[in-house]
Amino acid sequence: MNLFKELYQYRELLKSNVKKEIRGKYKGSFLGIIWSFVNPLLTVLVYAIIFPYILKQDQPNYLIFLIVAIIPWNFFTTVLNQGSTTVLVNGNIIKKVYFPREILPISIVVSGLVNFLISCIIILLFVLFGGLGFSIYLLYLPIIILIQFMMSLGFVFVLSAINVYVRDVEYIVNFVLTLLFYATPILYDASLIPARLQWILNLNPMKHLIEAYRAIFYYQQSPNLVGLLSLLCIGFGVMILGYVIFKALEKGFAEEV
Amino acid sequence: MKSKKQMDHSFAIQVKDMTKTFKIYSDKPSTLKERVVFWNRNKKEIRTVLENINVTIHKGESVALIGTNGSGKSTLLKLMTRIIYPTKGSVTTNGKLTSLLELGAGFHPDFTGRENIYFNASIFGLTREEIDARLDDIIEFSELQEFIDNPVRTYSSGMYMRLAFSVAINVDAEILLIDEILAVGDQHFQDKCFQKLHELRDSNKTIVIVTHSLDSVKELCHRAIWISDGKMRMDGDSKEVIDAYLEEVSR
Repeated sequence: MNLFKELYQYRELLKSNVKKEIRGKYKGSFLGIIWSFVNPLLTVLVYAIIFPYILKQDQPNYLIFLIVAIIPWNFFTTVLNQGSTTVLVNGNIIKKVYFPREILPISIVVSGLVNFLISCIIILLFVLFGGLGFSIYLLYLPIIILIQFMMSLGFVFVLSAINVYVRDVEYIVNFVLTLLFYATPILYDASLIPARLQWILNLNPMKHLIEAYRAIFYYQQSPNLVGLLSLLCIGFGVMILGYVIFKALEKGFAEEV
Repeated sequence: MKSKKQMDHSFAIQVKDMTKTFKIYSDKPSTLKERVVFWNRNKKEIRTVLENINVTIHKGESVALIGTNGSGKSTLLKLMTRIIYPTKGSVTTNGKLTSLLELGAGFHPDFTGRENIYFNASIFGLTREEIDARLDDIIEFSELQEFIDNPVRTYSSGMYMRLAFSVAINVDAEILLIDEILAVGDQHFQDKCFQKLHELRDSNKTIVIVTHSLDSVKELCHRAIWISDGKMRMDGDSKEVIDAYLEEVSR
């Protein structure tokens, strides 16, 4: 409860930090914030052009098939990559002033969320004009986003804190995310993977999230509700566990950064 | 969680049996490779910076921490700020706290003075409305009216300090911790700062100040704590403690 009280008191700091993350990233560039939408679109375009040639795939509307998966994935990787260094890059403030340290990881994930919500408009536009239309199952979207938010926050809590002590974390994260990109059914459908390897795929929480996004946007089906519910619990658990680890490590931040 | 009974609401800062040690690595491993490869080469020395400190500072007190360089007084101030945490014992604070440990912590050089007021004050836990309400006072106190919309990288160190001090002092904290910053700025601004500190003291705020300008602090603070080699050497009336300290130093 103390956490919420402090966060409420420091809401202005949280707000200005989020703003700084969103605006500051493309500061000085010509297109500014538009880059955060142009960027994923260009990525999608590259995959949409190249992959049908090298991968035998018969998905209709492959472009939309990709967009509904890559944009959420982008939210996940951007947040994790930026998040793992956030305590370290703010070291000079940490050494000089007290403020609730959890503001740093939280503002990274919140700014990622804001970006993602705006990007969702792109998804909706593509779904609408791509001939698929909206389904009633879009009502599940807030829950799926909430799960991803909690899970990302939990990971960012842990990674940003450990990275203060072991600087390799940011590079390991970078690599693991690249690997995970291919281990998650983004470019392909999970059914393409042989049955005996499916269990590996299922260990990856992002697989289930991406499939949920795809279910409501692309297949216009209800997501797997039991799976969604257990993901919600896992996401909540990851967030709490991450926070506890962050709290345990935060006392040494000022001496280590 | 502390039970209500144990909480004594009359103190502002309570330091109890507190010891702080730093690990000093001669060659600190910061990557995984270094940690694994040089696991047996970590020469680390444990240095006790503060040993068994017991201080209770009551609400409304103004206290000077004095001592030679490296005696641990700034470390003690950082512990009170909750930037670092004690190795043993506890440091408890009671009330809204603002610290001025270094000039313009968190100032962004490319932002204007005005934007930095907002950013700096939000680090101290102020909301937008609270900052809006104080903005004029802050700018007026800093005497930077004509420069307030210039980026702070164009400021001189004196102007920087004036802005930083003006923000910190207008936060309306109940406890103000200040580390050796009044040395910057011209005589006029220094006098103004001290006058403001006197005002704050008289309005029942708690002030803890680390300083080497002993004469000015003699008037401001009624209590002084002399720290020598990480231990409390003397604690009492500021005139007595400062005189004893000066006598020892000049010997």
